[in-house]
This record gives sequence, structure tokens and C-alpha cells, in this order.
Amino acid sequence: MSTSLTLAPAPRSEAAERVRAEVREFLAAELAAGTFTTHVDTWLGGVDPAFSKKLGERGWLGMTWPKKYGGHERSAMERYAVTEELLAAGAPVAAHWIADRQSGPNLLTYGTEKQREEILPRIVAGECYFVIGMSEPDSGSDLASIRTKATRTADGDWLVNGAKVWTSNAHHSHYGIVLVRTSPADSANRHAGMSQLLVDLSLPGITINPIRILDGGHHFNEVVFEDVVVPGDMLLGEEGNGWHQVTAELAFERSGPERFLSTYPLVAEFGRRVAQTGDPAQLAVLGRLSARVLALRQMSLRIAAALDRGELPNIPAALVKDVGTTFEADVIEEIRKVVDVTPSLDSADPLARALAEAQLHQPGFTLRGGTNEILRGIVARGLGLR
Amino acid sequence: MASDQDLVIETVRDILGSHEPFVLTAERRWDEPLWTALAEAGLTGVGLPEEAGGSGGELADAVAIVRTLAAGAAAVPVAEQLLVAGPALLAAGLDLPAPEQPTTFAIGDAVTVHPVDNGDGPGRFTLSGTVTDVPWAGAASSVAVLVPAPAGMEGSLLALVDVSSLPATDAFNLAGEPRGTLVLDQAAAAGALLTVAQADAVRARYALARAVQLAAALEQVLAWTVQYAGERHQFGRPLGKFQAIQMELAEMAGEVTAVTALTDAAVQAQDRAENVVLAAAAAKVRAGAAVEVVARLAHQVHGAIGFTQEHKLHHLTRRLWSWRDEAGSELVWSRVLASGLLADGPEGFWPALTRVG
Repeated sequence: MSTSLTLAPAPRSEAAERVRAEVREFLAAELAAGTFTTHVDTWLGGVDPAFSKKLGERGWLGMTWPKKYGGHERSAMERYAVTEELLAAGAPVAAHWIADRQSGPNLLTYGTEKQREEILPRIVAGECYFVIGMSEPDSGSDLASIRTKATRTADGDWLVNGAKVWTSNAHHSHYGIVLVRTSPADSANRHAGMSQLLVDLSLPGITINPIRILDGGHHFNEVVFEDVVVPGDMLLGEEGNGWHQVTAELAFERSGPERFLSTYPLVAEFGRRVAQTGDPAQLAVLGRLSARVLALRQMSLRIAAALDRGELPNIPAALVKDVGTTFEADVIEEIRKVVDVTPSLDSADPLARALAEAQLHQPGFTLRGGTNEILRGIVARGLGLR
Repeated sequence: MASDQDLVIETVRDILGSHEPFVLTAERRWDEPLWTALAEAGLTGVGLPEEAGGSGGELADAVAIVRTLAAGAAAVPVAEQLLVAGPALLAAGLDLPAPEQPTTFAIGDAVTVHPVDNGDGPGRFTLSGTVTDVPWAGAASSVAVLVPAPAGMEGSLLALVDVSSLPATDAFNLAGEPRGTLVLDQAAAAGALLTVAQADAVRARYALARAVQLAAALEQVLAWTVQYAGERHQFGRPLGKFQAIQMELAEMAGEVTAVTALTDAAVQAQDRAENVVLAAAAAKVRAGAAVEVVARLAHQVHGAIGFTQEHKLHHLTRRLWSWRDEAGSELVWSRVLASGLLADGPEGFWPALTRVG
């Protein structure tokens, strides 16, 4: 197979297993104290700033970042263990998720010293949250067609007009990294002329309108920019380098365990049911699902190890996300085939609740962060077909 | 890091390349010239220690040989000898046959065993009964067979039976590989009693061997299909330029990558002797599940020529459809996996998953 798709096996990390045990102990105590309850897809829906701050206090945010910005200089393998444990427990991690996963690393690569010093320690503390400003009402999979525009003012600031959509938790967040056109679209080079701006979401001229998803939850927003003046020093990276910078974020955005564990709490609940019934058909389904989880763990761990080697494996990340999100959606149908449970958000049966939560979130899994069709196009490029 | 294995792979490829592709028939049950060439190169004893008569080397070297031969659709019992019979006999304290004598592995649940002497370690036994689904029956000169322990004893017996003069029935898997039946009648054998856990570990070796073969064949089928999509033109351009075909090939690549990652992890677990049963179970289940997608899409992309014996694709797709059900199907191993993960109760399920790999 093409070498651009394959990565070396991940080495075992004793440090990761140590921090995993610490997180497990912490989560058991929090669950026992009732500070959170387990839900499906909590990295979208579980906003809890108090919980995020607790993670910050324990050193579990900004784990891989330099100490001079408050980070902990730990490995991507250790960070992997922490994020995986939080997801498996269905803990409320949405507030800080984007900032910790990709905005912080983006700032580390492209931010100015001032931007890093001001913002990164607050992310590490679990106090500063970010949104992704990529998709627009008329630009989904075709990201290069964005129209949100930033023009230089006489004072050297940026005047921003346009709108971003599907901006998860903008109503709880402090900053957005917003992809804007800083030069007119060039049909000869569609990827030129874009830049990333670091935008304080409290600036005048920004309106955040809720967009409710299928279960009625308010996570998505439309963020409208009307003559928003963004200070000139809030350009992130280089003017015109936006496409390249967005692409670099994607290895972080696409490869993590949240791309196959969004419905893990449903699998865990199903495991409880199987342990009660001992039903052989259910046991077989649990085994098949487990084998898929185990394979995805190995794939995702290989990416964490590659990140530790300083690589940005975009193509393997696209592949893991395709396989992973397919799995987290399949979980629902596989379980349905062997249990007689009517999904309901207000059922007394935790399996019925988990099924309901998973079902109503399921269409998003294979859309967010790049649709599976886009991802397969990237994999096809890795196979040398494009 | 992999330089030794690269050398081994290169040697196997050279030997394979100097052989005509082998078409199995009821009369030609295995590729004996290939086996002889591999044995002469010392490759049929790799991963088995020199003091036991093997060629030395690591498990990873043996796996590399098995993978290369599986991708080449080689009709020789190397996976059985290097990954199952050899290491299982060794672990049980039994003597290994000479590596140039093909030794296979089978499970004989219907065999009854009588001790000839009264040793409870390695000893002499007689075995009677029918052993079905024996890989390379009629080709292998001996079989390491896992059978129930003698009456009144717990566990199993691993016995080494000389079958060079025993007739095998004509039974073949979907790829034409011999999977015949042997009838043992007071067959004398060296044997060693195994605990239930030790016997489970032997079954896991068998499943892992097939998973390793599946992984290699899946990778090769993907590579052939990508290559074909680049060469075959329709509507004035290569098939691989059509988005519909790209989506199919990407889906295949996802399955293959998942299988490879999990099989590699199971081999490492075997090497470390940790969680060998659950890791092998997971690898076998995942590899078997990938066969449906990869074989179906490979044939779809190849079109009608891939559906004929004139094209090479069938050498591997028929093996994929066979191997996924051998050494325990996905149904069998998925139950083993789930039961094992639930052994500490449902709250122990996630911790168990993270321990397996």
C-alpha cells in the first residue's frame, strides 16, 4: 500500500498508562459525587466550564505545549490517554475541546509571541474556549469558496464582513480562528488569498444566532460579522497563508479518539445489558464492535505517535476519521439488531436514552470536520489516484 | 529497525518470483517445489530456536515470511508450521519435527486419547478418532493436534502425530487448499497435557496465523485493485479517475489499514505474551469483517475479468473467503472477545479494552 497511508506502530507508553489511571480515578470520584452524568457525544454537547477548569488544575489541558505558555510538555500519547478516558466516560468536555485540540496547537505554530502569551495559559487553565470559523452558509465541503472578507483599514486593522455556520458553542466561547478572504478569489488558484484571523467573539458587530440540532440542543450557531474591526495584530500567521494553515490544523482535528468514541457510552450501556442477559447474539455483536474499537485505537495511537515524532499525518488522519465516524454511527444499528428497546430521551432505561441520544446526533458524525466523501477523496489522493 | 525482516521478505519474494503461480487442483494439493526451495533457504524454521532445530530469528521474522507468502497465494503450510504448530509444540515442551518436514496444525475435538506411559508431562499417547478440516492434509507429514485430555483429566492434550502414511479425504476450502479429514486409529504420538488457558492460547495462535494471512492478502488485493484502476480505461480515462471508484478504493484502504494496525498489535501481544487470546480474537474478528468489503469492492472494480480464473484476483479473494471462517469464525471469536472483556463485569469492560491494545 502507498506509504502515505501507513504509519509505524505506536510504541507503548508507560507514562500514558500512568496518567490514564489518574484520569480514571478522577472520573470515578466525579461520577460518584454527581458532578456530571454520562452522555453520548459530549465533546459537542457537554459544555461545563467548571469541569474544564478542574481538568486544567490537574494539568490535563495543553498537555503537550511548552511550559513557558503554561503547558506541560508531555507526549501526544499521554494526551491521547487523557482524551480517550474522558470520552469513554461521556464526561462534559465540550467547552475546552476545540481550544485544547487544535486552536492552541495552531497558535503555537503560527501565533505571535504576544498572542501565545496572552491566550495559551488561559486555555491551559480551562478558562478560554475557541470556535472553528471555517464553514459558511454557502461553503461547506467546498471550503475554498468562502466569502467572508477582511479588508485592511487605514489604521492597519481588519474590517470583517460575512458569516460562519455550524460554529459549535460560539455562545460559550471567547475566540474564533476565522478563515477569511483577504484577497479576491482567483479562479486560477482557488487556495490563494485566504488568511486566518484571531477574533475576540465579544467584539462589536458580531451576532451569534443559535441553530438547533435534531434533539433540540443548542450547540451550533451562525456567527455574523457586520463591519467588525479586528485589530491588525490579530492576524494569525501569514496573510494569504490561510489555506495551508487550515490544512495543518486538520491532522489534529481529524485523528483523535473523538472520531470513534462519540457513541462509546452507548456501547458501554449495551455491555451492561449483555452482562445481564448473557445472550449469545448480543455477545457476538459486542465482540464485533469491540474489535472495531480496538482497531481504531491502534490507528489513532499511530497518529499520536507520529505527532510525537513531529509529523502532521493529514492523509492517515483523514482515513482514521472516515473509518471511525462510520463506526460510531454503525454502533446504533448493530445494537438495534439484537435488543428490543425503543429509544427515548426521557426513558428510565439508560440503554433507551443512550440509543436516543446517539440516534439524534448520528447524522453529524460523518459530516463534521470534513464529510466522509471529502475524506475519501483525500485517501484516494494518498493511494495515488488523484 | 526492520532491516532483518526486509532481507527475509526479499529472500521470500525472490523464491516466489522464480516459481510459476501455482494452481491448486485435487491432484496437485500443494506447491512442493516451493516448499523445498523455502526449506533449503532455512525459511521453514524461522522464529524457532536453533537449539530446537529451527533457524532462529524473531516472531516478527516468521510473521514477515507468512505475510509475504500469503500475499503471493503460496500453496505451502508455512503459516501452520511457523506460527502455530512450531511455537505451540515448543511451548508444550515437545520436540519439533525437522523444519524441512511440513508440519500442520489441527483441532481434534472428537479424538479420544489413551496414555501409553503414566507421565503427566510430555509423554506417549495413542490417539483414535476423526480429525476434520486439517489444513494441508495429504501434504503435511505430521500434524500437531489439539485434542481433549485423556478421560478423567482437565484440559487438553497437544500431540504430534506422524501422518505421512495416512490417507486424507478430498476436501478443500474455497481456494482449493486441502482441508481434508484424517482418521486416527491407535496412532502413537508424543504429547503434552495443557491447561485450559494453555489450550486457549494455542487456539489463539491458530486464529492469529489466519489473521496475519488475511491482513497480507487484503493489502495485496487493495494494491492490485488500485493498480488495475490506474490501468483500465473506460470513457476515455482510467477507472481510478472516477469519483465513484475513488470512494470504493478509499473504503477498501480504510478496512485494510484497520486490519493491519490490529493484526500488528496482536503479533506484538503474542511476542510479549500478554492478552494473547483477546488480542488474537480481535484481530481475527476485524480481519474477517474486512473481507466482505474488500473482496466485494475488489471484484466490483475489476469487473468481469476478475470473476474469471484467467485473472489473478481469485487466488486471493477465494483465500480471503476461506480463511475468514477457518481457525474460528468471527462469530466464535467475537463471543470469546466479548466474554473476555466482560470477565471483570461491565464496569471492567473499558479498562479491559485498553489493556488488550
